[in-house]
Amino acid sequence: MTRWIALLALGVLLLLPIGVGPYPIRVATVIFMWAALAGSWNLLAGYAGAVDLGPVVYHGIGAFVTAALMLKLGLPFLVSAGLAGVVAMVIAYAVGTPTLRLRGAYFAIGTLALAESAKQLALAWDRLTRIPLTGGSAGVSLPLSAGYVLFYYVMLVLMAAVTAAALWLRGSKFGYGLRAIAENDRLAEASGVNIHCLKRRVYVASACVIAVTGGTAGYWLSYINAADVFSASITFQMVVMTLLGGLGTPFGPVVGAAFLTLISEFLGTRFVYHYLIAIGVIIVAISLFAPGGLTSIFALVRRRTEATA
Amino acid sequence: MSLLEVRGITKRFGSLVALNAVDFSLTEGEILGIIGPNGAGKSTLFNLIAGLETPTAGAVSYRGRSITGLNADAVCRLGIAKTFQIPQLFPRLTVAENVLVAALYGRGRGLTESWREAREWLTFVGLADKAEKPAETLTVSERRRADLARVLGTGAPLILLDENMAGLNRREVEAAVGLLREVRARGRTLVVTEHIMRAIMGLADRVVVLNYGEKIAEGRPADVMRDTTVIKAYLGESYA
Repeated sequence: MTRWIALLALGVLLLLPIGVGPYPIRVATVIFMWAALAGSWNLLAGYAGAVDLGPVVYHGIGAFVTAALMLKLGLPFLVSAGLAGVVAMVIAYAVGTPTLRLRGAYFAIGTLALAESAKQLALAWDRLTRIPLTGGSAGVSLPLSAGYVLFYYVMLVLMAAVTAAALWLRGSKFGYGLRAIAENDRLAEASGVNIHCLKRRVYVASACVIAVTGGTAGYWLSYINAADVFSASITFQMVVMTLLGGLGTPFGPVVGAAFLTLISEFLGTRFVYHYLIAIGVIIVAISLFAPGGLTSIFALVRRRTEATA
Repeated sequence: MSLLEVRGITKRFGSLVALNAVDFSLTEGEILGIIGPNGAGKSTLFNLIAGLETPTAGAVSYRGRSITGLNADAVCRLGIAKTFQIPQLFPRLTVAENVLVAALYGRGRGLTESWREAREWLTFVGLADKAEKPAETLTVSERRRADLARVLGTGAPLILLDENMAGLNRREVEAAVGLLREVRARGRTLVVTEHIMRAIMGLADRVVVLNYGEKIAEGRPADVMRDTTVIKAYLGESYA
């Protein structure tokens, strides 16, 4: 049922650029971008129970590697973004091998510290290595982009891929292994689950999606700098959107991303100076009254209607 | 050839010696009881065999192959699985899914086969009617049986039961003993730690007695119970 609705929605979204103007398409692209980022975070935190506070590392790596490949080697955008995903996977494998052995809060703190160091390293990269890559605090300008519809489709594909992965996890062997780890990692280990290997696979896969998304966002904006693309606020927005939508649910990040993006768009144009206060109040209210996220409200309503029917 | 060989296994936690140079071996199809007062090192011994802790010294080998220092998941896939003294569950998975995870990963089977096996083992331990309930809703005695079903689900030929009968009443203990005999009849080898002497006496072919981390006796249950060192360890000097 949910899968058919999701496929139908995907079909509508594929045809959307034919029917509507540039502004709604740009807003939709922003939503897809956040849904892809939050969805990647959800795969590790929501399904394997590992709260990563440094996913922005791969966003930044994706942005700079994509930019470098396009500017220095003159590769086409899609090839560059794809290769950036591969670079992120290699780095994520190396980083994940030691850090994923940390548990609970230690993993969260470790990854947070890692992200901050990565930002400082990116800012100092050109000066330290004498290899121009990040442009220091001045950043890097990319070629002017090829129209907004390309970005719409790339972000849509990324969001759809992450959501499909989450749906697949629900009934698959791999998904059961991850849920076992999230529920009781020691027991999972004693039941034959190679917890380190499973977590690392998710970490590497989500790093890839985050990097491609970061590379696409960089090209879309046509200007990147280390302080922005490695900013912890990107991590926190991923976390907040996932929690608002529903942690560990396939559509939670999509709902959270759509909700937060639309409400910022709506309130931001009306209350330019105070809209962040209103958003803060809304986030607190949802956490208090629907701690399972917005998707838990849908599930509750569905159960109620089924009970009365 | 023996199924399991434990040679000079020692575990120190700082200055505390939890286990000191313990040796024993196990033949296929046997039920070995490990008894001893609280703190004798029974659970530590199990954790060392199952790979949940690494020994300070000594070696463990399974079917002639050294498994010392292997991770718990690797030990489980090789064929040794243990229950926990405080029964452990995946609380928000259903009871059937708890066993399913063990069949999927411990045994390395596919989804369809694993679902079938999970249901079979739940029927075997008498929890078929709870299969779809979240595991956290089970009572203590049901948790012990769910833990047993999980361990059986891993397909491991060697099963370590850490006080799997603790907290059960007399009737439940009798049922549990019957169940474990049936497990052996299905070709599994069992090592059982227990406080309930009567259960061990009726179940084990052989017992090893631990006290303060050392092996103080080994033999047939009836003989060991007459051993003066054992009586001293359990009841004190004046009874020996």
